[in-house]
Amino acid sequence: MLAIAASPILLAAPARAAAANDQGGQIAAVCASCHRLDGGDRSIPSIIGLGEDRLIRAMLAYRLGERPSHIMQAIALSLSDEEIAAVARFLAAQGKKAEPP
Amino acid sequence: MKSWTRREFGGLTGAAVLTALRPRRARSQAKAKVAVIGGGVGGATVARYLAAGTAPVEVTLVEPSGLYSTCFFSNLYLAGLRSFESLTHGYETLRRQYGIAVVHDSAAMIDPVAKIVGLSSGAKLSYDRVVLAPGIAFQDRAIDGYDAAAMQIMPHAWKAGAQTKLLRKQLQSMEDGGVFVLVVPPDPFRCPPAPYERASLVASYFQRHKPRSKILVLDAKSTFTGQDLFQDAWQRHYPGMIEWLPAEFTGGVKAVDVKARSVITAEETFKAAVANVIPAQKAGHLAQQMGLADRSGWCPVDPVTFESTLQPSIHLVGDAIIAGDMPKSAFSANSQAKACAFALASVLTGSSRSTPHLFNSCYTFLAPDDAWSNAISYKPLAGTIRTAHASISKVDESSEMRRRAAREAEGWYDAFTRDVFG
Repeated sequence: MLAIAASPILLAAPARAAAANDQGGQIAAVCASCHRLDGGDRSIPSIIGLGEDRLIRAMLAYRLGERPSHIMQAIALSLSDEEIAAVARFLAAQGKKAEPP
Repeated sequence: MKSWTRREFGGLTGAAVLTALRPRRARSQAKAKVAVIGGGVGGATVARYLAAGTAPVEVTLVEPSGLYSTCFFSNLYLAGLRSFESLTHGYETLRRQYGIAVVHDSAAMIDPVAKIVGLSSGAKLSYDRVVLAPGIAFQDRAIDGYDAAAMQIMPHAWKAGAQTKLLRKQLQSMEDGGVFVLVVPPDPFRCPPAPYERASLVASYFQRHKPRSKILVLDAKSTFTGQDLFQDAWQRHYPGMIEWLPAEFTGGVKAVDVKARSVITAEETFKAAVANVIPAQKAGHLAQQMGLADRSGWCPVDPVTFESTLQPSIHLVGDAIIAGDMPKSAFSANSQAKACAFALASVLTGSSRSTPHLFNSCYTFLAPDDAWSNAISYKPLAGTIRTAHASISKVDESSEMRRRAAREAEGWYDAFTRDVFG
């Protein structure tokens, strides 16, 4: 009974997670204008497979101007903490995915 | 080559979860049909992001040409630093990997009531939503005597292709000591720093091959994008080679004399060995014909959905639109196209719409190993698009930073054209 009563809440949580994932995906689309999202790397570093924490730390460093890049600074300043977390989670998840057949 | 496949992208954006929880109208119906007219950067990006996204959409891309050559980086080709082939892209990946129907035809008309695109071949294409990426056209009679025939003698080279190759050939066969005259149009035009990048890179070519030659830039404006960066670099790299004459010095370019290969301003006539005349611009022909452009010659749109404010149900992206603070650039077109694709997907599936992340960034070459960069984020505001955060190279930054930007630019081209064409 308890489980049934709680189900709307349980359902709402993944829906919110999915919406956040959608947000992460839309921000990752901005990244894809310069970074190859297939792991390829040609003078612009790959951002796939770095892990969530490392991506967040890098974005915060760009935002504070601790790492020099006009482009990354403008991007980092345009994103909220929540948006940085969402895109980092999205990109980290993409790095963990197996290669498609 | 691994890229975003339909399956993978769907899984990642959590669509499966969402669909299971909230079955949507779109699911029980036939797939929505979206027609995208124009296969440049804006059109190809809209098509790819719609097809790779989670909304069930059938995408048709209408583009007369089988290959697309990018205007961006074509100044490197003019300077002999890049092959023309490296600027040229096909539609095979969009067709094969994303299931986009690529139709090599041109749109002759659009009936927004019947929701039909009439193609030049006579075929008809029905749609639920249509997106136009018509690019630019040149204003007629902006410069007296500069007509289609004159373009074959004094190329504009502002749409990449035969015109770019013609200008390259003329520069190659020019004798050392000649004058290259570059005519720059009034705002707004495609890619604001590009005429000055062209002057810089042609100067680097002259320096290597024809060091006694000169470059004369006849501008319709009195200031230009990145002026301090360019003028500093012209002094450092090409002292005495490039002369820039703003409109107030010459009274502006009024006419060309094709036979004499000269450019006539209000004050003076300039004889050229090679003349590159970039005319004033407006939105592409289909936009004009469909009444999508206002009196300015460009197309007003909603800054969130990129739907025409003159003809609702028709969306527009890229150089043809009035995008507030966003410049007319390939990067802007790509960014607007993604925002438009996400907005269309939420309209077609009935899901909530989020604020678009609009961005523009340019790498601009001053010399083969000296490039500057800028980056600007934008927000929709009060019916238009306004700058949110901007960051740009400075005159006194280190040569190492400039060298790094020149290297990064190459990687950017690679990633960007994959983002557009798959």
